[in-house]
Amino acid sequence: MTLPDLQSPLALQYGGPSGGAPPETEDVEVALESLSQWQLAWRRFKLHRLAAIGLVIFGAMVLVAILGPILLPYDPLFIPNATRPGGDAPSLAHLFGTDNVGRDVFRMVINGARISVTIGIFSMIIAGVVGVFIGAIAGYVGGVTDNVLMRVVDVFFAIPFLFVILVAARFFGQGQLSSLILIFGLLSWPLIARLVRAMFLSLREADFVEAARAVGVSDIRITFRHILPSALGPVIVAMTLIMASNIVLEAFVSYLGFGLSEDQTSWGNALSNAQTVLSQGNWWWAFFPGMAIALTVLAINFIGDGLRDALDPRSRL
Amino acid sequence: MTKFIIRRVIQALPVIWLITVVSFLLMQQAPGGPQAAFNQNPHITPDQINAWLARWCLVRDADILQTIQEYFGWLGVYNCTGGGFLSAQGWPNFLPTFLGGGTNGVLHGDFGFSISSGQPVLDMITQRIPATLILMGTAWILWVSIATFVGVLAAVKRYSAIDQTITIFSYIFYSLPTFWLGLILIFIFGVELRLFPAQGIINVRTSPAPFATDAYWKAFAANPWPQIVDIGQHLVLPVATLIAVSVAGDSRFVRSAMLESLSQDYVRTAKAKGLPGRTVVFRHAFRNALLPIVTNIALEIAFLFGGAIATETVFSWPGMGLLFFDGVNGRDYFLLMGILLIGSLFIVFMNLVADVLYVMVDPRIKYD
Repeated sequence: MTLPDLQSPLALQYGGPSGGAPPETEDVEVALESLSQWQLAWRRFKLHRLAAIGLVIFGAMVLVAILGPILLPYDPLFIPNATRPGGDAPSLAHLFGTDNVGRDVFRMVINGARISVTIGIFSMIIAGVVGVFIGAIAGYVGGVTDNVLMRVVDVFFAIPFLFVILVAARFFGQGQLSSLILIFGLLSWPLIARLVRAMFLSLREADFVEAARAVGVSDIRITFRHILPSALGPVIVAMTLIMASNIVLEAFVSYLGFGLSEDQTSWGNALSNAQTVLSQGNWWWAFFPGMAIALTVLAINFIGDGLRDALDPRSRL
Repeated sequence: MTKFIIRRVIQALPVIWLITVVSFLLMQQAPGGPQAAFNQNPHITPDQINAWLARWCLVRDADILQTIQEYFGWLGVYNCTGGGFLSAQGWPNFLPTFLGGGTNGVLHGDFGFSISSGQPVLDMITQRIPATLILMGTAWILWVSIATFVGVLAAVKRYSAIDQTITIFSYIFYSLPTFWLGLILIFIFGVELRLFPAQGIINVRTSPAPFATDAYWKAFAANPWPQIVDIGQHLVLPVATLIAVSVAGDSRFVRSAMLESLSQDYVRTAKAKGLPGRTVVFRHAFRNALLPIVTNIALEIAFLFGGAIATETVFSWPGMGLLFFDGVNGRDYFLLMGILLIGSLFIVFMNLVADVLYVMVDPRIKYD
């Protein structure tokens, strides 16, 4: 059954004792219909205005990443004739202008979306899977295993992060997308492992886990079926943060020339040569790829914020 | 307290040791090496390369055992000039020198020599530290004070127009990539408006000597004001870049800490007693909100170290970040190891400071 009143954001945000019409009795009855944790979270998420904006922007970026290279193909190795030393300013023919050798910056940005979004999503998944797995083991098993794993996590936290990325990307990357994803993923799991471990330490002693154990549920099933779903909220929020920061990291590493090879189009690669022509007044080459990064990261941060509110069991709507 | 500090230091040692092991193995097992510069040179024979590498106690295409040997050499456990694990005196090499141990390796305070420049690594690093400290110190002081002010303001005026504006701007700035913001600032204020210098730390045309050399400090001591003005002008853009992004994140943190504290019972009590609003906010709410803020600040100093690399490369700021960047390019193993070691020590030290500050700010917490 649908609830037109409850689904309008105004009714919920400005409802209540101080304003808005009091809910009709009929609505209250239906609201008692039991909803799972995730259904409740989704309902709260939809009401978060910024998160909705973020979801729309990010969805558009994913769409651009999928369709862009098909509709507006771009070959970074094809060099058209430059019409002006610094490249052309934005015009109708070239919406975002051209770079110093006449390549269209608009196509560059559209095609860069695919690699940047891919890196963000897949490095996030790797970090999530490894982090949850290791955090769960450390938190559930405890003892020496926990101690050893947490020292490893300490090492990751104490290493100057960017330094390692630069060394790894330069020495092992050789400009491949897959190796960059792997490096970013494998360097960002410790945050999640620490979170998951902390949640497990407290949930391990919870009554429902005790009950499951008493009935004879196996350790693996307790871990994944009983504890993990309760611990997932903060993990998902942390994963959005990791995705955003890895998109920026890719851009930075490629900007320094340590990331993807030149024949691939990413936002970082688009930026990497832009600094040299800034002094000629060629701002568009640096501006638009950076705006694409900023917009994507902003959208992800909005989504993360909405998720934080929606998945927090203390928040009620 | 002393016991707590000692225990923390002892816990930190294996972590730092692991960091050096991991980074050395990572670097050494990666394809290529410092000899890559000679790859295209037909006049240099493989024997010459081997002899050249041997001067740094390195082996070309080292297998895992040789890599471990090289690592021990860097650490000071192994004596590559012939003694193996024994020093020239015939004692174990890792012992302190005055007990008959060797003189090489970080255990004996020897960080080795840079492969590309031949200078002692420690000298190169200490020469770069002032530039990083000037940049990061200025940025840090400014951003902590601005973030605290803005955050408290947003919390006290919650949901007002000011709060909303601050929120929107912090969302936007928080999403900007630091290095890109630097590029844009360079373009606007350095290239178009020509208000501030865009590159470097000093004006090389008017400066008496290159930065951080002895001659420079001598000129600085004789007449500091022109140099201070010079550095100050060069500081504006990189500091603005660092501040914009960091204030955005930190002011949110201060705001939520302050909101948490404002919603406590003792604040309501203070208000009910009829205390003036200013006293309630600063003496009651803010002092309690300081606890998470102080810890956060101390932890962030550690990140300054890594954060320097983005700003320093964009602005050609001659600090440690740029030095590391050059080291990665030249595969300068010992320089990289030196910076990594000092950087990790710094992070571990700042974590300890954060814990100690925690106790000092909040008398309810006790470690023992």
